Amino acid sequence: MADGSVDLSVDLAPNNPRELRLANPVIAASGCFGYGQEYANVVDVQRLGAFVSKGITPRPRSGNPMPRIAETPAGMLNAIGLQNPGIDGFVRKYPKLWQHWRVPGIVNISAEAVEDYAMMAAILDEQPGIAGIEVNVSCPNIARGGYCFGWDAGMSAEVTRAVRDVTTLPVIVKLSPGAVDIVSVALAVEDAGADAISLINTLVGMTIDVKSRRPVLANATGGLSGPAIKPIAVRMVYQVAGAVRVPVIGMGGITCLDDALEFFMAGASAIQIGTAIFVHPGMLTRLIDDLEAWLAKEGVRSLSEIVGAAHDRRGVVADLEEPDLMLEAAVAAG
Amino acid sequence: MVNLDLIPSAYTEIVRGEGPTVRPHEFASEVVAVEPVMGDSVLLTMTVPSPMAAEVRSGHFVDVLCRLDGSYDPLLRRPYSFFRADSRAGTVTLLVRPFGRGSTWLAARTPGTILDVLGPLGNTYDIAPRSRNLLMVAGGVGVAPLVMLADQTVARGLNVTFLMGSADAAGLLAPTLLPSAVEYLVATDDGSKGHPGYVTDLVPEYVRWADQIFACGPEPMYRSLRNAVNPHRIAGKPRVQLSMERTMACGLGACLGCVVETRHGMQTSCVQGPVYDMDEILWG
Repeated sequence: MADGSVDLSVDLAPNNPRELRLANPVIAASGCFGYGQEYANVVDVQRLGAFVSKGITPRPRSGNPMPRIAETPAGMLNAIGLQNPGIDGFVRKYPKLWQHWRVPGIVNISAEAVEDYAMMAAILDEQPGIAGIEVNVSCPNIARGGYCFGWDAGMSAEVTRAVRDVTTLPVIVKLSPGAVDIVSVALAVEDAGADAISLINTLVGMTIDVKSRRPVLANATGGLSGPAIKPIAVRMVYQVAGAVRVPVIGMGGITCLDDALEFFMAGASAIQIGTAIFVHPGMLTRLIDDLEAWLAKEGVRSLSEIVGAAHDRRGVVADLEEPDLMLEAAVAAG
Repeated sequence: MVNLDLIPSAYTEIVRGEGPTVRPHEFASEVVAVEPVMGDSVLLTMTVPSPMAAEVRSGHFVDVLCRLDGSYDPLLRRPYSFFRADSRAGTVTLLVRPFGRGSTWLAARTPGTILDVLGPLGNTYDIAPRSRNLLMVAGGVGVAPLVMLADQTVARGLNVTFLMGSADAAGLLAPTLLPSAVEYLVATDDGSKGHPGYVTDLVPEYVRWADQIFACGPEPMYRSLRNAVNPHRIAGKPRVQLSMERTMACGLGACLGCVVETRHGMQTSCVQGPVYDMDEILWG
C-alpha cells in the first residue's frame, strides 16, 4: 500500500495562487456524498483526495416528488430536484465543520440566473473550510426556459466569468454532456477563467413503467449515471483534455481501478466517483490503494505520467470532432 | 423547506436509546439456511460480524447486493429489514419474497453463498417505557420487522396482539414462527383463512386496548389503517409507528432518493426512517 514511492498528489488549480492541492486524485462526486458527514462513519473521509457537496442553490429547495430514482440497465436515473438547505443554510452549518477537516471540501453551486451564481460564489469566498467551488452549469433536472446553461458555450462562459469575478477560490466548471459541442464549451469556460473543468454530469434519460403506462420518475425525466454512461464520459474527457490546458476532472460510471485508469489515460488529472459510492462506499479508499499499487507495479512514479497516455501523439486519430466520419471510416475499414 | 438540524447522522439515529451499536459498514455474509415460507417466499439466514446480531433491533435493515460480482445488474442494493436475529449463532434472518430482479436472485441463493452486505442501517420501532399492550399490524412481507418486534417485546413480558393480512391463506405467516404468547389473528383478501377482507378491518376493536400500534405493509394498508384507527383514538393515543418502504440508493442519507414528506420536511427513509410516527407523515 503506502510505500511512499508513488506520487498521487495533484494540483487542480495550478494557475490559482490559492491552489487546489489534493493528496490523491480520488474525489467523491456531488450529489453522491451528501456534505461529507453522512459517510463519516462508513468511510475514512479524510483519506479522500477531496469531496464535492450536494448542489447548493440560492434558496432552500425541498426537491421533487417521489419516486426520485429508477434503476436502469447498468445505471440509474435520478431526479432529486436539488433538495438542499440553500446557500444560507449551507453556510450556517458546514464551513465551520469542514474547516477542521484535512480533506478539501468543494461546494457545488447551481442556479437559474447568472447573478445568483455570483451571489453564492461571493458568499462562499468569505467562508473558512472551503477548498473550491464547482459550478454546475448543467443540472438537467431544473428547466430554465427549456434550455440549460451548459448546453451553450456563451452562456457557460458568462456564468464562469461571473463567478470568477467575485472569488479567488479555485473554480471548477462541471460540463453537461448535453452540450452540442462539448469542446467549444470547455474552451469557452477555460477562457472565462475556470481553474479546472469537470465532466460529465448525468445524461437526461427516461424510463416508463409499462404496467401503469406512466414514467417511473415523478419528474418523468432524470439524470442517467452509472457504468452505462462510461464510454460517453471517456470520449468527452478525451476530447476536452485534448483541447484545454487547465486540469480536467473525469467522471461517469467509474466503479473500479480499470475504469479510473481509462479516465486518466483519456487525459483526466483527477476523477470523481458518484453512483458507485451508493453500492460500495468502501471503494473510494480501496481505489486510492489500488491506484497506488498499480502505479508501483507498473514502475510509474507519478500519476501525471499516465495522464493523457491514450492521446495518439502521432496525430493519426487525435481529433474526434467528427465521430460520425470516424465511425464510417471504421466501418469501411472493418 | 429543509431543516438540516433535523437530519442527524446515521450513527445518532441508530443508537436511539438502545445502547451500544454497530456502525454501518460493508461486510461479506454467508448464507447458512434458506427455508420456504409464506407461499413463494423464503427465510434466508446469514452470518453477520459480531456483535451485530445482538445489537440490531426491529426496524433496522441491511442493504444486500443482489447480483454476482462483475455484473452491473441490478445496480443498486436492496433493503431488507430483519425478521430475526440470533446473537448466539451470530446470524440474522431476512424474509425474501421474489417479485423483482433483485429479490428473485436473492430468494434463489443456497447455503454457502457469500453475500455483499451494507449495514446495519435505519432507525427502530420505539417502545415507550410504560407500554404494556402492543398491537402489531402486518401486510404481506411487511410482517418481517414485526416478527422481530414481537420476539423482543414478548421476551420483555409485554402483551402482543398480532394481526396479519395476505392475499390468500398460502401467503400467511405460520403461527409457529411467532412467540406462543402472542394473540394472532389473520385476514385474507380471498377469504381462504381468517377474516375475509383487509387486516385493517380487525384493528378498531383493539385500538382502546393498545398502548402503542406498530405497522408494516404497503402504503394503501397505511391509509386504511389511519381510517381504522383515528375514530377510536383519544388525544392522539395510542401512537402509531409504521415503516415506510422506498426505493433506495445509498442507504446513508446522502442521495435523498428515498425521502418521505413529513411535518418536519423531506426526511430520508434510510436514516431518519424507515420507522415514522404515523401523525408525522403528510399523506397528500
